[in-house]
Amino acid sequence: MNKKKLVLVIPIFTVFLASLFASKLPDALETLAINYKFINKVKETSSLFSGYSFPFVENHYTSTFLAGTIGLVLLCILFKITTKIIKNLAKLIYEKSK
Amino acid sequence: MHIPDGFLNNNLEGVLLIEALGMIVYCLSKILKTITVTIGIIADNVSGANIDNSQSFFIFSENISKYFQRLTLIALWIFAFQMFNIPVKSTTSAHLLGGVFAAILTGPFASFIIMSFVIIIQSLFFSDGGILALGANILNMAFIGSFLSYYVYKAFSNENQHFGIFIACFFSVMAASFVCLIELKLSGSIVFSTAFKNIMGLHFGISCLEALITVTLLKVFRNVNGESNE
Repeated sequence: MNKKKLVLVIPIFTVFLASLFASKLPDALETLAINYKFINKVKETSSLFSGYSFPFVENHYTSTFLAGTIGLVLLCILFKITTKIIKNLAKLIYEKSK
Repeated sequence: MHIPDGFLNNNLEGVLLIEALGMIVYCLSKILKTITVTIGIIADNVSGANIDNSQSFFIFSENISKYFQRLTLIALWIFAFQMFNIPVKSTTSAHLLGGVFAAILTGPFASFIIMSFVIIIQSLFFSDGGILALGANILNMAFIGSFLSYYVYKAFSNENQHFGIFIACFFSVMAASFVCLIELKLSGSIVFSTAFKNIMGLHFGISCLEALITVTLLKVFRNVNGESNE
């Protein structure tokens, strides 16, 4: 496979593996919160893909994979917008200096 | 490591959120400044050739796109690998932070932007870390992960690059968890002295895991992206 494509395929494949094999155990901070009994202070916030699950998809693995892939797409969009803003600002500054 | 809403007190969350937003703007302005200075140099160099200003900007505009494409790829790798939780004890799991990975590849300012964007997406769309606690999470994972780890890496990588990566990972994970403890203490969630040994002991193992994953990812990323392993 083309190396340029591989650099994009690896994160998607990692999301796929994560949906199958990622540990469901609490992380270090959650463990601390459980041990020191302040876990009940947590305020649950709801968002579109809470807990890396895709709404309306019953199968857990598919749901996690879809949510993770959408996360990758959202990151691309955020960087695309930033690139556009930086390009326009750079052009503005460049033209002003001329 | 992602702090959810409710663990920290609101005032602290507010101050850290403002600080984080300020840092994002500052780092973006640093990147913008570097870009415009470079455009100026390029324009001066090509002024002798038959290329006008708009053409020279167009050439450089392509390079800006390539630069941000690389930042996007690094962000995608970090996001994906952060989803992969690995069990570290029978009751706990951990995942890559990625600050050292990003800082070595792009420098501290771009790395801070990459880490912040990953944390923002995780918080807003996946409830992985609270929205009010966004500032604390950016401080712990993006700021410490990018700036501290980058300068530690620079200080120790002259002799041996792998040793530099290991020390940078160790400091970034330990410092991030230490600052997280201070934030929890300031919010009255824990007694510092008792929690310190517990959390730092746990993160010692996690920092070794971070170092191993970072070394591997750097090698693979540079290899598939056609970059040198220096």
